[in-house]
Amino acid sequence: MSGALRRIGERPAAFLAPAALVLGVVTLFPIVYVLWLSVQHYSLIGDAPAFAGVGNFARLFADARFWNALGNTVYFTLVSVALEVVIGLAFALLLARPFVGRAPMRAVVLLPWAIPTVVAARMWEWMYNGDFGVINYLAGADTNWLGNPYWAIHAAIAMDVWKATPFVALLLLAGRLSIPAELYQAARLDGAGAWRLFRHITWPLLRPLLLIVLIFRTIDAFRVFDAIYVLTGGGPANTTETLSIYAYKVLFQTLEFGYGSALAVAVFVCIAAITAAYVWLLRGSAR
Amino acid sequence: MRRGRAVRGKPFLHASTAPGSSSNAHFSAGIRLRAAAVGNLILVRRVILSTLRGLSVLAAAVLLVAACGGGDPPAGAPAERTIVFKHSKLFGDPTAFAALIREFEAQHPGVRVRAETLPSASDEQHQFYVINLRGGSADFDVLALDVIWVAEFARAGWIADVGDLLAAEEHGEYFDASLESATWEGRTYAVPWFVDAGLLYYRKDLLARYGFEPPRTWEELERAALAIREHEPALHGFVFQGKQYEGLVCNALEYMWSAGGDVLRDGDVVLDSAANRRALEFLGSLVPRGISPELVTTATEEPSRYIFGSGRAVFMRNWPYAWTLFEQADSPVRGKVGVAPLPHFAGHDSAATLGGWNLGLNRRSRYPDEAAAFIRFMTSPEAQRALAREYGLNPARRRLYADPGLLAAQPHLEELRAVLDAARPRPVTPRYAQLSQVLQSEFSAVLTGLDEPAEALAEAQRETERILARP
Amino acid sequence: MRRAGTYLGVLLVAAYCLAPLAWQLVTSLRPPAELTTLPPLLPTQLTFEHYAAVFAGHPFGRMLLNSFIVAGGATLIALAFGSAAAFALTKMRARGFGLILAIVLATSMFPPIATVSPLYLLINGLGLRDTLAALILTYASFALPLAVWVLTNFLRQLPDELYAAARVDGCTPRQALVRVILPLAGPGLAATGLLVFIVAWNEFLYALTFTATERSRTVPVGIALFPGLHEVPWGEIAAASLIVTLPVFVLVLLFQRRIVEGLTAGAVKG
Repeated sequence: MSGALRRIGERPAAFLAPAALVLGVVTLFPIVYVLWLSVQHYSLIGDAPAFAGVGNFARLFADARFWNALGNTVYFTLVSVALEVVIGLAFALLLARPFVGRAPMRAVVLLPWAIPTVVAARMWEWMYNGDFGVINYLAGADTNWLGNPYWAIHAAIAMDVWKATPFVALLLLAGRLSIPAELYQAARLDGAGAWRLFRHITWPLLRPLLLIVLIFRTIDAFRVFDAIYVLTGGGPANTTETLSIYAYKVLFQTLEFGYGSALAVAVFVCIAAITAAYVWLLRGSAR
Repeated sequence: MRRGRAVRGKPFLHASTAPGSSSNAHFSAGIRLRAAAVGNLILVRRVILSTLRGLSVLAAAVLLVAACGGGDPPAGAPAERTIVFKHSKLFGDPTAFAALIREFEAQHPGVRVRAETLPSASDEQHQFYVINLRGGSADFDVLALDVIWVAEFARAGWIADVGDLLAAEEHGEYFDASLESATWEGRTYAVPWFVDAGLLYYRKDLLARYGFEPPRTWEELERAALAIREHEPALHGFVFQGKQYEGLVCNALEYMWSAGGDVLRDGDVVLDSAANRRALEFLGSLVPRGISPELVTTATEEPSRYIFGSGRAVFMRNWPYAWTLFEQADSPVRGKVGVAPLPHFAGHDSAATLGGWNLGLNRRSRYPDEAAAFIRFMTSPEAQRALAREYGLNPARRRLYADPGLLAAQPHLEELRAVLDAARPRPVTPRYAQLSQVLQSEFSAVLTGLDEPAEALAEAQRETERILARP
Repeated sequence: MRRAGTYLGVLLVAAYCLAPLAWQLVTSLRPPAELTTLPPLLPTQLTFEHYAAVFAGHPFGRMLLNSFIVAGGATLIALAFGSAAAFALTKMRARGFGLILAIVLATSMFPPIATVSPLYLLINGLGLRDTLAALILTYASFALPLAVWVLTNFLRQLPDELYAAARVDGCTPRQALVRVILPLAGPGLAATGLLVFIVAWNEFLYALTFTATERSRTVPVGIALFPGLHEVPWGEIAAASLIVTLPVFVLVLLFQRRIVEGLTAGAVKG
């Protein structure tokens, strides 16, 4: 292998090839396949597959359950990403201060993120239990968090925020630490207070990074599946059914591969649109 | 601004004296400074070089794993045929199950059986089967199927007709509902393995203390639950499975059937009926009127079993598995639990939803004869008796419910037989999963007070008609 | 005053992150009879039977080993391929830079549930079903976009003169990458590696679909096998969740400084 590479001169393609091959085979093939399925009438328990054109997407537009799932997904994404960024930023600024035990603390902060999602969701389901859950016990409450149509989605959001905030905090901490200390010292000499330091140094310098964090978190939150699926299964009464959960149920429970793939494509289109909007914002702020 | 802070005083000199660093010697002073700023050069380089070396080893290892992990023993050994049995884990000591399999192998020289467990969540099993069978997998021969999957898998062409294994004269051996669940368009696609049905659990001691008989109607259950809660406000009245999932459909259908309602009748959707409205109105009133705690809206089998099993509820709807657990030595409710058929509405009959598992035969199996023999063995009276004794799996064969040995160990079987005789399967259609999703959501809306029963049923009727009309 | 505030804040953050885990720990040490009763908040007596059951009742050691091989293998592949790609993109002036990155990012916007089934067909076609290789390959490909992205940003801030000087000195591009660029990219590699490792360590959906027996089952799927048809052993699940968290905690603890450095360079450049 090394001999082959040595003969290559300035040919970047050879260096891109391994990654491109893996991505092309393992990622692109399934995506193209799903795109193809999304324009087929194809149910494993129906008639033979037939070309559907935009038929599946027309059905989607008329499908109240799709709009409900889209609404849930957007709400979940907006609230959880906003909370994650705010809390994550607070964590980052705090952890950037000097204190004893920074090393173990950074590891501690990453723990929630390091737990398998299905495992973390089971933990939270256990804590949310209306009868013997520790949350009700400590709060002296008698609420059935996951069974109440109002609380269920917020309970899911709380779990997601707990799990994803570390990722945000870590990236923002990295960004905060990369701001030269001299900037702050100079500003302090000029008599700036904590708020003005944040407003005029930290915030503007962190903004580009914040947008990247937003992109990553939004992509993840918009595709949320296993966390909510374990907690509520989409209930009660579909109030926590997100697009991914709907797509999962259509694909693997009702076996409508054509329509389920159309749902997946809809998720993809939404995320691409949001990302494009973010990138546009990022350009604006970088210049 | 990023480079500056990474300086940690590791002099660049170290790097340039390290072996193999000749290319670094030509750096200009400026570059040296920049390069020095990144720090810990030697260690990092060693790690990386060894990592890259390790990679080629890994690649070889990956290929090796791929090569030997490719699946099955070479076809060149005809003397030994291995069939694979996919099933969910049996809760308990695995040795009894292993002994059964060894017994089959002893009876069939040259045939080996590999039993592979699936995750117990039924959605995960379904997903596994769907993806594998759609991909034409022949990696497993015998499949344990939830009773609601048989029609679907048969329609998809994944499981073989196993009518040969169920001679007509044997039909009387099995419960009607169980046979119905294994049959689609007049042909048999699976053999009943073990069965489940909804039961009413009640606290004998509490009912006796406050002067109640085990309730036969839902109204009686309501009266008893409310009256006992007057005296014992810390107790819950009636717990059941109300989370939005398949179990909720099982629960809700029992109310509908016991009010004279149904989902399909002769192929027509009959959801929007007076009987079903009556049933759902009762279901929707359970939480607001304090008969059931709010927690039932997320309860599955285990949370309700825990609550009842720790002595905190008067009544519970659950599957038969809970009974054995309540009679264990350390159980707080040991000896205090009675079981009865589920209540019904006045003027109608009690009904229980059939659950349980059937055995199907993968149509692509390489050893269909051996697999069929294994199904016959696993559904034989002897195997069913052993599974009932060791794991509490309720036999699909009726006469085992009169088996003296079994009855001695599990006296509730006697009550169970009557319940199972009257049990009903959920609608047998390949599109059941679609139906169930509509019903789950509408029932959940009624239970949590989001929707009126009349509206929910009208909506369910419309959606179900639309689903069944699709090509 | 400010110091006290800092420590109070740090304590709160630690509590926020650890509380659910602490409760899991308490659950895992409870006798079975106390699992579903509150009070008492703390168990009246500690038991390790759930931990014993995790290892006695399941091939949990094997699953841990599988998880390590899978996550480690995916990490190595993602780092090797990702750094080569990032190198080409930043130092060799590969054309279509923006387009390639955009495609790379776009592949991570598809909901994973939709690609399980086609990917199964692929894995099956390659003869990799029920092997660790299938999972390594899959996870490496999922992690590549992130790896390429972080490493591209990290390498971009290394001066181009480094590469130029190495070439003048007679290095081939590969030698330049291995001997000059990568040694300077340690923090970037550590950060990327950890991100990839965690993703691979935690994945459930694909692992469930591509594995059939214990020879390839990873821990998240293994835990899903704990319950019976109806019975759920909560104590064992709690114990297993803690065990599976431990290795990642150790990794983070060992590498935390490099991770922050690597992300610092990688993240801010955008």
